[in-house]
Amino acid sequence: MVHGRHMLNGAFIIELVKRDFTERFAGSILGSAWAVIFPIVNLAIYIVVFGKIMGSRLEGQSYLYAYSVYLTVGLLPWTAFANTLSRSTSVFIDTKHLISKMQISLPSLLVYIALSETITFVVTLVFFLLFLLLTEFQFSLKLLLLPVIFYLQQVFAFGLGLFAATMTVFIKDFKQAVSVLLQVWFWLTPIVYLKEILPDFFKKLLFYNPMYVIIDTYQTVFIPQHEINYFALAVMAVLFHGSIIAAYVFFRALEKDVRDFL
Amino acid sequence: MIDVAHISKAFRLYHSPADRLREILYRRKFHRVHDALKDVSFSVRSGETLGIIGQNGAGKSTLLKLMMGILLPDAGHVTLSGRITGLLELSTGFNQEYTGLQNIYLNGILRGMTQAELDAKRDAIIAFSELGDFIDDPLKTYSTGMAMRLAFSIAIHADPRAFVVDEALSVGDAYFQQKCTDRIKSFRNTGGSIVLVSHDMNTVKVLCDRVILLEQGEIREEGEPEAVINSYNYLLARKTAGREIIQKPVLEKGSSYGNFAVEIVSVALFNEQNIDSGTVISGKKCSIQIALKAHEEVGALTVGILIRDKFGQDIFGTNTHHCKKPFAIGANMSKVIRFEFDEFNIGSGAYTLTAAAHTGDVHLHSCYHWVDMIRAFEVLGNPEFYCIGLARLKPSVVELLQD
Repeated sequence: MVHGRHMLNGAFIIELVKRDFTERFAGSILGSAWAVIFPIVNLAIYIVVFGKIMGSRLEGQSYLYAYSVYLTVGLLPWTAFANTLSRSTSVFIDTKHLISKMQISLPSLLVYIALSETITFVVTLVFFLLFLLLTEFQFSLKLLLLPVIFYLQQVFAFGLGLFAATMTVFIKDFKQAVSVLLQVWFWLTPIVYLKEILPDFFKKLLFYNPMYVIIDTYQTVFIPQHEINYFALAVMAVLFHGSIIAAYVFFRALEKDVRDFL
Repeated sequence: MIDVAHISKAFRLYHSPADRLREILYRRKFHRVHDALKDVSFSVRSGETLGIIGQNGAGKSTLLKLMMGILLPDAGHVTLSGRITGLLELSTGFNQEYTGLQNIYLNGILRGMTQAELDAKRDAIIAFSELGDFIDDPLKTYSTGMAMRLAFSIAIHADPRAFVVDEALSVGDAYFQQKCTDRIKSFRNTGGSIVLVSHDMNTVKVLCDRVILLEQGEIREEGEPEAVINSYNYLLARKTAGREIIQKPVLEKGSSYGNFAVEIVSVALFNEQNIDSGTVISGKKCSIQIALKAHEEVGALTVGILIRDKFGQDIFGTNTHHCKKPFAIGANMSKVIRFEFDEFNIGSGAYTLTAAAHTGDVHLHSCYHWVDMIRAFEVLGNPEFYCIGLARLKPSVVELLQD
């Protein structure tokens, strides 16, 4: 069998990622620059509006932009996670015109989305780190953990995404359900607010939210209020990789039907 | 080389895709099964062109999609040596906003080519497409023909071992079509395999080395193009027997006119094997048979035939008067008149037959019955002598010496 449909095709994925950044803005004057403009504007809003104008402060922090940093380090990875998951959910339906005409490995499509969102995240993060450097923010060595946490959350987004993409072929409502879920999930995770304001029984429940563990680690990397919970991270690493395996088994069991329905 | 071994494919028809999940949950059946292909096996050798024919719904497209890996079979497998590419949807994966050059990369990668391969071949692709400087313009400024030319160029430069073609190629103008045909022939000569699905029996006959006839998901016949096409036509004829093809009775008098003193009852068109299959071969024996019934006695009856092409142009017409065979018919008598052609010298294509019964040399004198397009038929190309156009003239070629 020389069929490439089960293999991940590197050139194909890279081409899709490239397309993602050029195609959306093709024909416009600024072109791919728009892919950077959006995240930077968002970044500026978090920092200026929440740091300067509203003057939100974190207790016990002298750094002027402490709350802005808290908000940004939660919001950036969450946005990457949420975008990856919601775009993955409809990817089979959206690329139906290609899937039904050409020989395409379906999981490649999810890899490309995860990669594409990673690039957006990295670009925004670079600008954010530059800002921190300019405002004489105190970095800690824990910053080296960032790639690891980000890798883990994208693994999770990929696993959930593959499951959701398969489901959406059978149940169109899944796409809407996922965006509602992401909305609720966002507010159940301390990103905008501090977890200290939550009632006690709710704080205990937080550990059942995998994204809490991830986001909390990001926040701790930048604003060291407590130790990083490496045990919880390890559990998540196992859980997330497990989610990919489970989703892949589920997908393979239904792949024939997925292709028939598209 | 393509090897298709015991492929079966059933489509489960659900009211909604969600029923597929309900099945898993409730462990109950929520679908009807449609067997698209049942235990189909064949192989295509290097340098061979295989034709697949059959009626709509026979499973031809499903078979192509399985060969390309777009659909997965329920049983059996497809083995390919090398890349297989389709000329199904030439412009799939084009972006209208991209330039022609950018689209070469986009489409090429979708066809499984690598970046390096495309860097090496892009000049050849541009040259073959003859787009010149237009290659740097956005695709949306292209005409349909230009986009098709570009797509074909990319597909042929993907250097596949096998091509899958759905329906005849119609790329650009006649000049470019010729160029594509030549390119496909040289692809075949260098050992490439082609699988062609077409409803155009003429294309199949001219291009294919071997033909498979699919009927309801099964291979009904496999072999020489001529023999298989004949059985296909026979199959079609049997399906519509008594209604359209064999001895078609004239029922709708709306499409015909006259005073009906003599009525045309049926018309048949026999090929060289004396079968009325709706197809005849260019340059071979053929006969047209007209059955008549008289309601009144007619002393000088003329029966005429007229062949028209698909544009409605008269190609050939004559009658018994001009053939100097006058005859008479008594009241309530039936007669069968047969026009026999030793060589049916009409070019390949689709034609219609019109028949008339009247007096004298033209039907204007006293028209008993005139039936327009009483039946359609097809003239297939004759591999013994290739020619194009409506007429099949047979020249002798002489070389003249000059000093």
